[in-house]
Amino acid sequence: MSGKSLKEKKEEKVYPRPVSGEKRVYMSGNEVVAWAALACGAEFLCGYPITPQNEIMHFWSRLAPRYGRKFLQTEDELSAGFAALGGIMAGARCFSATAGPGTVLFQEPLAMAEMMRLPLVLVVQQRGGPSTATVVYSQQEVFLTSFGGNGEGLRVVYAPGSHQEMYDYTIKAFTTAWQYRFPTLVLGDGYQAQMKEALTIYDPPARGLEAAPAFPLVGAAGLPGVDREPAHWRNTFSVEEELFDALQPLIIDYYSAVPFLTEKETGFLEGAALVVVAHGIVGRAARAAVGELREKGFPVGFFRPLTLRPFPDEDLRKITAAGPRLLVVESAWGQLNKLVRMALGGTGAGRAEIYTYLRPGLGITAAEIVQEAENIFRGYAEQEAGEGNNV
Amino acid sequence: MALEKRIALGGEGGQGVQSAADILAQAAFEEGREVLYIPNFGIEQRGGVSLAFVQIGEKPIGSPKFKQADLIVALSVRSLERLEPYTGAESTILYDSSLLAPPEVADAVVGRQVYNTHAPEAFAERQLTDQKQAIPEITTGVKHMLGLPAGEIAQNQLHPRVSNIVILGALARLTEAVQLNSLEKALLKRLASKLERDPALKPLNLKALRLGWETLHQQVSV
Repeated sequence: MSGKSLKEKKEEKVYPRPVSGEKRVYMSGNEVVAWAALACGAEFLCGYPITPQNEIMHFWSRLAPRYGRKFLQTEDELSAGFAALGGIMAGARCFSATAGPGTVLFQEPLAMAEMMRLPLVLVVQQRGGPSTATVVYSQQEVFLTSFGGNGEGLRVVYAPGSHQEMYDYTIKAFTTAWQYRFPTLVLGDGYQAQMKEALTIYDPPARGLEAAPAFPLVGAAGLPGVDREPAHWRNTFSVEEELFDALQPLIIDYYSAVPFLTEKETGFLEGAALVVVAHGIVGRAARAAVGELREKGFPVGFFRPLTLRPFPDEDLRKITAAGPRLLVVESAWGQLNKLVRMALGGTGAGRAEIYTYLRPGLGITAAEIVQEAENIFRGYAEQEAGEGNNV
Repeated sequence: MALEKRIALGGEGGQGVQSAADILAQAAFEEGREVLYIPNFGIEQRGGVSLAFVQIGEKPIGSPKFKQADLIVALSVRSLERLEPYTGAESTILYDSSLLAPPEVADAVVGRQVYNTHAPEAFAERQLTDQKQAIPEITTGVKHMLGLPAGEIAQNQLHPRVSNIVILGALARLTEAVQLNSLEKALLKRLASKLERDPALKPLNLKALRLGWETLHQQVSV
């Protein structure tokens, strides 16, 4: 052992930038995550393998040494999360990736990150659940990633829907995490992890995307209490009032950041009588379906939350205020639907009529959504005809 | 009309379905088309059915799976059965007419599965037998059934392990979405690490690709 810190060792050798210029590539979603993390200066991946995200670790551990980055495989996801938190406290940009039952185990380090404001980045590639279920696909980890810990869900959850977004939002996750200092998750799924498609990779600083600086939280120079304030990072409190007081700034900081964090994509809202709401990979099918329905003359719009936590509540309320019904489409039994209802609850817009198309663990195609929307419109027509007869 | 092809491929694990699908998609990407390839298989380490879905088009592609395929490729009976839901009146099925028998699993004896299924590498090296499995009746009725003895071509002229590349050549031409030279480029890229270890595989694979590209085309145009 040389006794040198990771940073000192790194300074000895100049490594190339992982991505130079802009490059059109065809690769899998897991490979995209590894390249994005390399490109935006992630230093250390602590992880434990689980399908369907294994290739993130495969690619990272293969590529990392070329760029002076590190990899540690721990004995389980709890260790992976806490090792990453330790690295973050030492000032390194650490991250991890997991799925399914691994996301469950990750809740403890995530909750600690919320309490101590540690900028942990976690990529989740959802598989089928509950329990071991399938290694393939679902959208059943929406609540787990958003609210899974023992706490208030003080996290940011991005839901990309294409490889381009997977690249963009993995980079963004590191910026958000270090800027706002809340754990930040990128919620993909097994389809996005395994499928291959084209995207443009780039060097983030070349596009003006400079990550917030990483810095050590412990071990600063000087004598604590004399030369500087002692660093006191707590996740344990004696009495209720002490915890309550400690939580206030966390909650205030989180909710003041909400307007700067929420993101969404919308389309065809003009005159829409029905708005299809979907996230992640299902958003692609929804977008295609809405385009097709508009061509057929159906007044249908499109709403896709890009942040599931915080959810773009205000944006959705503005849309429902105009009176359209909603059709929530997801590969889960109503997890997105719960977020939608939470967003609309307590307002006049909360009375919006919500239809659902729920397929836990199953992929959803544009054709199915078109069919479902047409059925809903047929239902209206029959209802209106029925009412007309009664008059 | 804009080009839009939906392709589903199926075979036993180790038959090279994923490489074939990936190379096809990569070739279409090289030609500047929109592509999406997604593998699909279960949790089996050995003896599972391996499916792949490829979409090639000119507009951005929506969901990674689809309801009905324009082209279906089957390298085993079991996989053709799994692909049946993707067939329709407009589908063309391309199958290996020197079909390999899928591995049998002795479910009655717990633990026997390991011994009764073939490791993927063993499967790829396997010699053909006279026992051909009957192709299941496709009840929906399809546009074309095209048989190509890819296994025989590979075994007699090249090596059994490149039968998937023979099929790939034939499939690629059917898509009308890629040129042979971009297919060759994609193949060399995809197999780069293997070819580096064993340079003899390069002419073998390129010949297989060309044989597939030409043989089926000659048969079909007759």
